[in-house]
Amino acid sequence: MRRRNIIVLFTALFILAGLGWAGWANWEYRQQAAARLLATSARGELVPDPAGGAAIFISPLKGKLAPAFSLIDVDGKKISLAKYRGKAVLINFWATWCAPCKIETPWLVELRNKYASQGFEVLGVDTEGDDLKPGDSAGLAKEKAAVAQFVQQMKVPYPMLMNGDSISMPYGGLDELPTSFFVDRKGTVVAAQLGLTSENDIEGNIKKALTE
Amino acid sequence: MRTELAVAALGIMALVASAQLVAQIVPTGPQNRAANQPQAVAYLFPEQVTVAAGKPSPVALHFRVTAGLHINSHTPSGNSLIATTFSIPAGSGVRLDAASYPPGAAIALPLDPKTKLSVYTGDFVVQARIVTAPGNHLVQGTLRYQACDNRECMPPRTITVPIDVIGR
Repeated sequence: MRRRNIIVLFTALFILAGLGWAGWANWEYRQQAAARLLATSARGELVPDPAGGAAIFISPLKGKLAPAFSLIDVDGKKISLAKYRGKAVLINFWATWCAPCKIETPWLVELRNKYASQGFEVLGVDTEGDDLKPGDSAGLAKEKAAVAQFVQQMKVPYPMLMNGDSISMPYGGLDELPTSFFVDRKGTVVAAQLGLTSENDIEGNIKKALTE
Repeated sequence: MRTELAVAALGIMALVASAQLVAQIVPTGPQNRAANQPQAVAYLFPEQVTVAAGKPSPVALHFRVTAGLHINSHTPSGNSLIATTFSIPAGSGVRLDAASYPPGAAIALPLDPKTKLSVYTGDFVVQARIVTAPGNHLVQGTLRYQACDNRECMPPRTITVPIDVIGR
């Protein structure tokens, strides 16, 4: 009888463990499915320019509120997008290994200084997208040092945020860089750009963000 | 006895359900966002090599970069650029003794003609020197690279370089 009770007890524990495992797996699966869906629904696409120019980036985020985020900047300060409500904002996703990103940075610096007095700000977001393991503090420190050096070299006057990878999903996955989103004073995305275009294109979208 | 059978049946059902759910889990997240993209580099050959066991042996590894893209060479023009690097994981029975990479071609992006980049385009060959233990080893080498075109860049990626190495 005692042996039977022990068998039943262990079997019951085994079932509970199985159910617990199934519950955890189900939760994990749903989380990942939601993240994939979010990225898919926000992922833009390049379409040919009818005028024969460079391909045009169509983002599903256009006309929608820019996904909220809070990130730590290169100086260790917490920066939230919500803090910039009332200003036009250019969210510029870039990476230290991205040569085209570095070409456009001087344009962003110049345009930021030109339009800052009208209520415009740029938020640079470092999005390395690399294979650093979570907790790789040496790797992260190296990345941060590279960003800090770049900020200093280019005399970047706007906040430079770290760990853009953590917000890549709501912004469409960020499969290519540079990617920029232009947000108006109400927090709505009015334009998006993928890849290196031109200073004129960027300025046009900044004006749109300032006036809409 | 009936109770035990019912409990056992429930247990099996719970395990089957959990196994099915776990099988559906696909890694995602920031670290894996590059996995959604098509590969910019393909490993071509060899699939199998036979070398003298215990002696450094040359193996030429052939790769192809997708048309319209370039990847940094092994010696990129800037510290922050990611070098193309071949490696073999420890414990595979095969050790990478040395690897020799081709020199990169110097290119400049149209919007920044003054800055030269050292890159690979089209086909390129990494000359590896390996030391193999006797026997058959299915080696899962890796090539890490970072690809761009003239306007944009993709996150760094690592592809598997599978080679069946026979040491005799």
